[in-house]
Amino acid sequence: MAEKIKPPRIRVSRRIKKNKVFKVKVKFDHPSFTGLAMADDTTEPVFNRAKPVTFIRNMLVYYGDELVSRLSLSSGIADDPLFTFKLKATKEAPVKVVFIDNFGKRWEASKEIKFKG
Amino acid sequence: MKKFLRIFGISYCFTFFLFQTIFAGTVVDKFKIEGIISIASTKALQSELLKKMDIKIIDLNLKKTDSGWPVLRIEYDPDIISKNKIETVIGEIEDPAGHKYKVHKGPLIANANLIDEENQAMTILGDMTMDLKQVNNPTVDFDSSIKRGKDMFIKNCAKCHGLNGNGYGVVAHGFTTWPRQLWAWYKADSAADSYLYWIIENGKSDMPPWGLVLSENERWDLINYIKTIKKPEEN
Repeated sequence: MAEKIKPPRIRVSRRIKKNKVFKVKVKFDHPSFTGLAMADDTTEPVFNRAKPVTFIRNMLVYYGDELVSRLSLSSGIADDPLFTFKLKATKEAPVKVVFIDNFGKRWEASKEIKFKG
Repeated sequence: MKKFLRIFGISYCFTFFLFQTIFAGTVVDKFKIEGIISIASTKALQSELLKKMDIKIIDLNLKKTDSGWPVLRIEYDPDIISKNKIETVIGEIEDPAGHKYKVHKGPLIANANLIDEENQAMTILGDMTMDLKQVNNPTVDFDSSIKRGKDMFIKNCAKCHGLNGNGYGVVAHGFTTWPRQLWAWYKADSAADSYLYWIIENGKSDMPPWGLVLSENERWDLINYIKTIKKPEEN
């Protein structure tokens, strides 16, 4: 966790029409590690703690002021995950994604949604 | 007799002074070590430490430590070497793969409290969906059921929930949420049955759905045993 973690990045569909579904992609470069290792296999192998556990704990998705989704994550997810989800374009408002890791640190990114065509 | 006493006295004094010279003022300290990721790194830490410092390594306990972190017990003379110096040297050593060790000083549970935004989100969207059905405990012979439940608990549950149900099992360290301390249900009445049955059947958070593995009767055995788990100080 020594390295500085950059904020997440969001990409949305180029053409978004009102009341149509559009795709949102969120990339967040954050490590994910259980912290466990198996350093002894002499008798009964068991895990020992090797590093502090690190993972994204929650991902919150806001559309405008409304909280539309919460993802409860664990150390089982990949390093630097990419999330893709769909939203219905009901209004011209920003899509904001918030990440909180197990240390309680918070990152966010947002993208303005504007209708085209 | 006099000769014997003289020899005995001299050898006693010699042994005493020898003992004093070797062990005078030595202390034994425990260090929680971060960075032990392989068998090679276990050996490298000990050999490098002995090369760099005049200390005695008593043991390196990888298993069954209270915190889950490997514990290195070192005997040293505090007049010659300080504890800080040992910690610094440990921090300078690299394992064969180039990873550095560190003395762990962090919190026991590396999962900070939920921030307000997370609590708010759980309030709005809910923690999880649960469809609790009304269930009735069919057990007749509770003693044998508890005995079977205990065996099943040791086999399936103790790795995460801990042998005494303290929620501090060996493999629980990397979980999103700390496993539940099971004495919460000590002597719980039948009102808790539906909840416990649902959790065992469907799982929650990092807990897998044991309904896929355990039969209905086995689940009840487990519930009956869980209700007998006391808080350690009450044992």
